[in-house]
Amino acid sequence: MGVKLLLEKAHVQGIRSYEVYRREGGYRGAEKAIKTMSTDDIVEEVKKSGLRGRGGAGFPAGMKWSFVAKPEGVPRHLVCNADESEPGTFKDRYLMENIPHLLIEGLIISSFALGSNATYIYIRGEYAWIVDILEQAIGEARANGFLGKNILGSGFDCEIYVQRGAGAYICGEETALIESLEGKRGNPRIKPPFPAIQGVWMRPTVVNNVETLASVVPIINMGGDEYAKIGVGKSTGTKLISACGNISKPGVYEIDMTISVEEFIYSDEYCGGIANGKRLKACIPGGSSVPVLPANLLLKTAKGETRYMNYESLSDGGFVTGTMMGSGGFIVLDEDQCIVKNTYTFARFYRHESCGQCSPCREGTGWMEKLLLRLEKGQGKISDIDLLWDIQRKIEGNTICPLGDAAAWPVAAAIRHFRDEFEWHVTHPEEAQKRNFGLAHYADPIHVPAV
Amino acid sequence: MAKFNETQLTEFKRLVARYPEGKQKSALLPVLHLAQDSFGGWLSSDTMDYVAGLLLIAPIEVYEVATFYSMYNLKPVGKYMFEVCQTGPCMLRGSDDIVAYIGTTLGIKPGETTADGLFTLKTVECLGACGYAPMMQLGKQYREHLTKEKVDAIIEECRKNAVANN
Amino acid sequence: MSEQPLFKVTIDNITIEVPAGTTVLNAARKIGGDVAPPAMCYYSKLQGSGGKCRTCLVEVSKGSDKDPRPMPKLVASCRTNVMDGMEVKNITSTKVIDTRASIVEFLLINHPLDCPVCDQAGECHLQDLSYEHGKEGTRYEFQRRTFKKQAIGPYIQLHMTRCILCYRCVFVADQLTNKREHGILDRGDHSEIATFIEKSLENDFIGNVIDVCPVGALTDKTFRFKNRVWFLKPLDAHRDCPTCSGKVTLWNRGDEVFRVTARKDEWGEVESLADGKPAWICNSCRFEKKKTSDWVIEGPRIISRQSVISQGHYAGKIGTHTPAETFSAVHGGRQPKLLMDIHAVSEVNQTDIELSLLERPAHSTDFHSEKD
Repeated sequence: MGVKLLLEKAHVQGIRSYEVYRREGGYRGAEKAIKTMSTDDIVEEVKKSGLRGRGGAGFPAGMKWSFVAKPEGVPRHLVCNADESEPGTFKDRYLMENIPHLLIEGLIISSFALGSNATYIYIRGEYAWIVDILEQAIGEARANGFLGKNILGSGFDCEIYVQRGAGAYICGEETALIESLEGKRGNPRIKPPFPAIQGVWMRPTVVNNVETLASVVPIINMGGDEYAKIGVGKSTGTKLISACGNISKPGVYEIDMTISVEEFIYSDEYCGGIANGKRLKACIPGGSSVPVLPANLLLKTAKGETRYMNYESLSDGGFVTGTMMGSGGFIVLDEDQCIVKNTYTFARFYRHESCGQCSPCREGTGWMEKLLLRLEKGQGKISDIDLLWDIQRKIEGNTICPLGDAAAWPVAAAIRHFRDEFEWHVTHPEEAQKRNFGLAHYADPIHVPAV
Repeated sequence: MAKFNETQLTEFKRLVARYPEGKQKSALLPVLHLAQDSFGGWLSSDTMDYVAGLLLIAPIEVYEVATFYSMYNLKPVGKYMFEVCQTGPCMLRGSDDIVAYIGTTLGIKPGETTADGLFTLKTVECLGACGYAPMMQLGKQYREHLTKEKVDAIIEECRKNAVANN
Repeated sequence: MSEQPLFKVTIDNITIEVPAGTTVLNAARKIGGDVAPPAMCYYSKLQGSGGKCRTCLVEVSKGSDKDPRPMPKLVASCRTNVMDGMEVKNITSTKVIDTRASIVEFLLINHPLDCPVCDQAGECHLQDLSYEHGKEGTRYEFQRRTFKKQAIGPYIQLHMTRCILCYRCVFVADQLTNKREHGILDRGDHSEIATFIEKSLENDFIGNVIDVCPVGALTDKTFRFKNRVWFLKPLDAHRDCPTCSGKVTLWNRGDEVFRVTARKDEWGEVESLADGKPAWICNSCRFEKKKTSDWVIEGPRIISRQSVISQGHYAGKIGTHTPAETFSAVHGGRQPKLLMDIHAVSEVNQTDIELSLLERPAHSTDFHSEKD
């Protein structure tokens, strides 16, 4: 059994309620922070912990906190990003549904550290029932003196509000989220200024993911140094992985980032292997935006070393032979799945979710979707594959926000690793409508050149 | 023109009170949800103008927002809207079959509403339930691990509720 | 305003000093010529504009003297401020040129290319952009996007299919009129300029959306299909107007006024008045004063960038106006080689034949020097 810091108590009967959460040791962190620590101490502990943003980008959370501007007389805000929308990702939902007080406690500590008197949880609109769960938890925390005026006699006031989005993946991007929180279209802002200087209502703002903020609780409880001892290298602490696709046991797992990808997929403690006795073909380990890898490159790096479930190991080899930890949305494809079709659904997703502000993303995502559909239906040409490659290359890095990259990467990786399958759709158009390409050579051992 | 009743107005005030003074526009998204739930499941231009008036903003600011987000319905929809996810992870677990099955069973295509106004079928992009695929959203709740049998049961349940509520 | 310190910035190997807070684009415009990146959405007179079209992307090869690291991605020059010692590559970067060609392609894949029936033709920034930065042909083989037609009143014609979503018209409505009636509706590739409930736009200054529109999406209905801009003679004129400055450009054929626009500078933007404020014009000047007798004519208008308009109307310097010699000015009088006769500096393609005197098309053999 690996270490569990977030979900350890998630299945205790009645843990959603304040009483049970408190009885199980909850709100000790909040007490410790507010009663015994200065705001600088808290930021320091988070820095020491090495905690990296769990939303997808992996930016060090403590560093993000230290950027926040503190102009005299201007309120600051903490905003919790609960707009979980990256295909393959459903970990924040799991955490909020099962152990909402952990997030609320993390928010209280973080609000105190950052000096946010009004903290907002921006949650995707579809998670409507979770709003009720969170508001219930907020009410209970308030009734017990952890929110409201003069919390625990510290003189610190704080309220937490839950705001529902209304269906827009782009609002997971922090400046689009801020715009949406202001009651506007979710158009990402052009940076600079960054939210730490001018965020919501032009006030200094920190936006952090649900899991990131929940992780602040164990960090305060055990101390940043202890937290940093868990895991490996710059992948400290634990990470929630939401596993889905063709595996025996889809679900949310907390891992300590020292296990191998193979163990995660095949061990009964986690995914329990590929469903129905099929073979592994490919995997997108960090949410739909990160590069897809064929089975052979997923389990071993290009150097022939074991690949582990952490930031560094997953990205070993860069985008040529590696991928990314991303948001931890672990999507597994078995031998019966079609890479072209899967890539098409992602392209359709990104076209649907593009805000339309900047031209490469607005026009490029739709173009890619059309080409992929044509290829999928066996009506494509070989030159379409090269055109797709060129389009994604021209979108990547040239857009206002990372949605352009997120749309480009899956297409790039699919063509990079599965070009045979794309070409087969062109050369065998009729057959491609009847059956899928299959596993082919995608699980064959990789030749490692001798050094 | 429809207006919020007392309870809805109280909720409206609770929503607006969350934001700093003068920033009442921030409440637009939640208020539009409230309006959609209160006035028959969709937002007419009258409803949007009403919301604009309540929040002291120009109607175009409401239209811009209402048309941006996929959860606001700008046309009437069926009493029960089946929003079936079709993105990658759900597709891998057979969402195409579920969409087709609902379509055949109800005799409608995605985007259409049954003649009796009971059901609307809509395909949507990732709803964050990838581990419980295939799935759909029905009202405020998710219906997960869908099978043909489960779909039948859900349709039956909706029909019964519709009768009971009439 | 307090005095801003001067920052040194080098763009395409030309160094100038600009006040801190100046954007890379505006610094490049000071240098002028090809060094200024094209801008389809940025409009210096509209607050908050820019950043969207991505045509002005440039490479920052050195961040500043303090932090010389290059920026990892191309940046939107219209929204990036210069730093002291910054080095920027625009036309000297193959990456920029390559990317810009792609942006042009993106902007064109859903554009109807109906220039032959478009009133904007001849003064269209998208035409200029495609001509200067685009590639021949298209790789797009799908049906182009269409929209439901929407009428927005007696003055302004909206062609949504031509729109590139620069947002300038929205900024005009926000910043110039007292009530915005139109905006961007929907999202992604089906975003559109609309009023949602069909409404006519009649605010006093709303006509300026026509002048800021870089393409033929918003055109003057009172001028619709009346004439081609290159057949018209632009004239500066003014009148006493109670609403606006009354300083305009008339577009005449003979004595007939075909249309009235604001006066535009070499970047296609509305000119500033002596007080620094942009000379936006009111609807009445634009749409209703269509007699020469309504106006005091000042003289011919020089349209420097839209060469097609300038051709053939006025003799001498007017109309064939060349940009000021900023290159040599910033080089302390030195003539950069870029502007010289190629034969003066290069041995390549030396020819003894005056190619223009050939009575047939030039052949490759004509380019071989006798020396070869």
